[in-house]
Amino acid sequence: MRYLRLLPLLLLLGLPAVRAEMVVVVRADSEISALGKTEVTNIFLGRYRQLASGQLAEPIDLPTGSAEHAAFYDTLLNKTSAEIRAYWARLVFTGRVAPPRTVDSSERLLEQLLINPRAIGYIERSKADRRLRVVFEVSSR
Amino acid sequence: MRLRLLPAFLLLLATSGHAETSLPGGVQFNGFGSIGLTRSSSRQAAFVRDLGQAKGSRGDWRSETDSLLGLQASWQVNPQLALVAQGISRYRVGNNYNPELMSAFVRYEPDARATLRVGRMPTDFYLFSDSRHIGYSYLTVRPSGDFFGALPFAHFDGTDLQLAHPLGDSLLRGKLYWGYLDEELPLAERRWPLRGSQLSGGNLSLQQGPWTLRLSTTLLHFRHNLPIAEISDNLRQLAPLFPAAGTAAERLEVAGAHSRFHSLGVVYDDGPLQFQAMLSRATHSTSAFQNWQAGYLQVGYRRGTVTPFIGHSWIRSNRRTLESGLPSGVAPAFDLLNAGVASVLADSHSAQQTTTLGLRWDLASQFALKIQYDMIRGKPDSIFPYRDETRAWNGRTQVLSAVLDFIF
Repeated sequence: MRYLRLLPLLLLLGLPAVRAEMVVVVRADSEISALGKTEVTNIFLGRYRQLASGQLAEPIDLPTGSAEHAAFYDTLLNKTSAEIRAYWARLVFTGRVAPPRTVDSSERLLEQLLINPRAIGYIERSKADRRLRVVFEVSSR
Repeated sequence: MRLRLLPAFLLLLATSGHAETSLPGGVQFNGFGSIGLTRSSSRQAAFVRDLGQAKGSRGDWRSETDSLLGLQASWQVNPQLALVAQGISRYRVGNNYNPELMSAFVRYEPDARATLRVGRMPTDFYLFSDSRHIGYSYLTVRPSGDFFGALPFAHFDGTDLQLAHPLGDSLLRGKLYWGYLDEELPLAERRWPLRGSQLSGGNLSLQQGPWTLRLSTTLLHFRHNLPIAEISDNLRQLAPLFPAAGTAAERLEVAGAHSRFHSLGVVYDDGPLQFQAMLSRATHSTSAFQNWQAGYLQVGYRRGTVTPFIGHSWIRSNRRTLESGLPSGVAPAFDLLNAGVASVLADSHSAQQTTTLGLRWDLASQFALKIQYDMIRGKPDSIFPYRDETRAWNGRTQVLSAVLDFIF
C-alpha cells in the first residue's frame, strides 16, 4: 500500500482519511441473500429485523469507537459513532428495544457468523473470505 | 447555588469506565445523567424545566433545573423476553431528588413485528417525550419548554403494544397504550395527586429514509381535583342563593374531567443534518385548564464533533371565562372567592415564544457538553410555564444553560 505513506500528509492537510471499505456479511450457506440499504439500516438500527424472505436477522455490532464501527456507520448513514451512541441511548433507556449484541473484535464476529446462519455483521472487505457471503456493499447510496 | 448532587455525580463518573456492566446471568447495568447549570435572567418568575418542578431559577444559577441521574437494570431472559427496571433521581415535587421508579416492565417480542410491554413505562404523548430525561440522546440542553414543559406526566402503569409493518422502502409503526398515572404535581405549596388518573392513546409513525412522520393522540381521565377545595366548597355552599356559583364549582372540577393531547411530528435526519418540527394541541373538559396549542422547529448541523443548533418554539392558550354569579364589592368574602376563581382560570394561561441557540460538543466517548441560550418573549399574563411569578413579571426572560450529559 504505497498510499499509506501519504496518509500523514493527508491528515496534515486536513483531508478526510481514506475509510476502510466495509461489507455486510453472513455465513456462506445462510438463507440470507442480497440486502438493500433500507434493510441493512433497519436491521442495525433496531427498527425491523425481518427480511423480505421472512427470515429473522440477528445483527452483531462491533464496539462503538472501533475503526470498523466508525467506518460502517459513516459510510452507511454519514453518522459519527457519538451520534449512533446517542441514538441507542434513546432506544435503550426508553426500553423500546434491545441493542444488537456487540462483540469486541472482527475475529469474534467471524466466529459468531460461522456458528449462526442468521447472524449478520460488517467487516472490512479484505477480511471477507470464502466462508462468508457478502450481502451488501456498504455505500451511502 | 446548591450542588449537593455533585459529589455523587463525580463518584459515579470516576467509577464508570465502561459502556455497560454485565453480571453473570446476563443482567446489564447502564445509566445516564446530566450535570447542569441554569440561569434565568428575570427575578420575577421562577424558570423551571417542566411543571413537575416547584422551584426554579430567578436570576440565579441553579443546578437543580437540569441535573438528573438515571440507572437501569435490564435482563434479556431469552430472545423474546426481557425485564427492565429504571430509577431516576431528579429535582421534582417536594423540592428534593428522591429517586422514583421510572420504568419496571416485562417486554415480550413474539416476532419482529410486535412488542408487548406490561408494567411501568415512560409516557409517550409526543414524539421524543419518552426520552425527555435522557439528555445524551438529543441535541439541546432540555426538550423545548414551550412544547414539553406543560407535560409533566412522566410514567404510567399499564401496557403498550407496538407493531411494525414494512411498506416497500418505508416502515409503518403503530403503538397503543393504556394504563394509570401514579405521581403528584406541585401546585403552589400544595400537591395535586395524579394517582389513578387513566391514560390511553396511541400513535402512528411512517419512516422513510431520513424522514419520520408521527401522529399521536392521548386521552387522560383525571381522578382527583386540584387542591383548591376552599374555593370549590365555598362556591357550593353559596349555590342555593347563587346558582351560578354551583355551576362554577362544577366547571372547576378536575376529577372526572378529561384532557386530550394531539400532536404531529416531522423529523428529517440525514448525516450531519437534523431537523425537527412539531405541533400539538391540548383540550380540556374542565374550566380549570386552558386549551393550548404549541409547536417548535429545530435544526442542527454537525461539523466534526460539534453540532450547533437553532430553534424556535411557542405556546398559546385560549382564555376561559367563568361567572360565579357573586356580586363584587358587596362582601369581602365574595370578592375573595371571585379573586380565587379568577386566579385559577388565569393560572394555566400561556402566550409566549422562545428562540434558542446552542451547541452540543461530543468531547469524549459517552460525554456531551452543551451550552444553550433561550430568549423567551411572552405576555405578562403568560404564567403557566413558570412558578411564583410576581406582579412585576413582564413575560420576558433569557435563560443561559450549560450541561454535561453522559451515559455509562
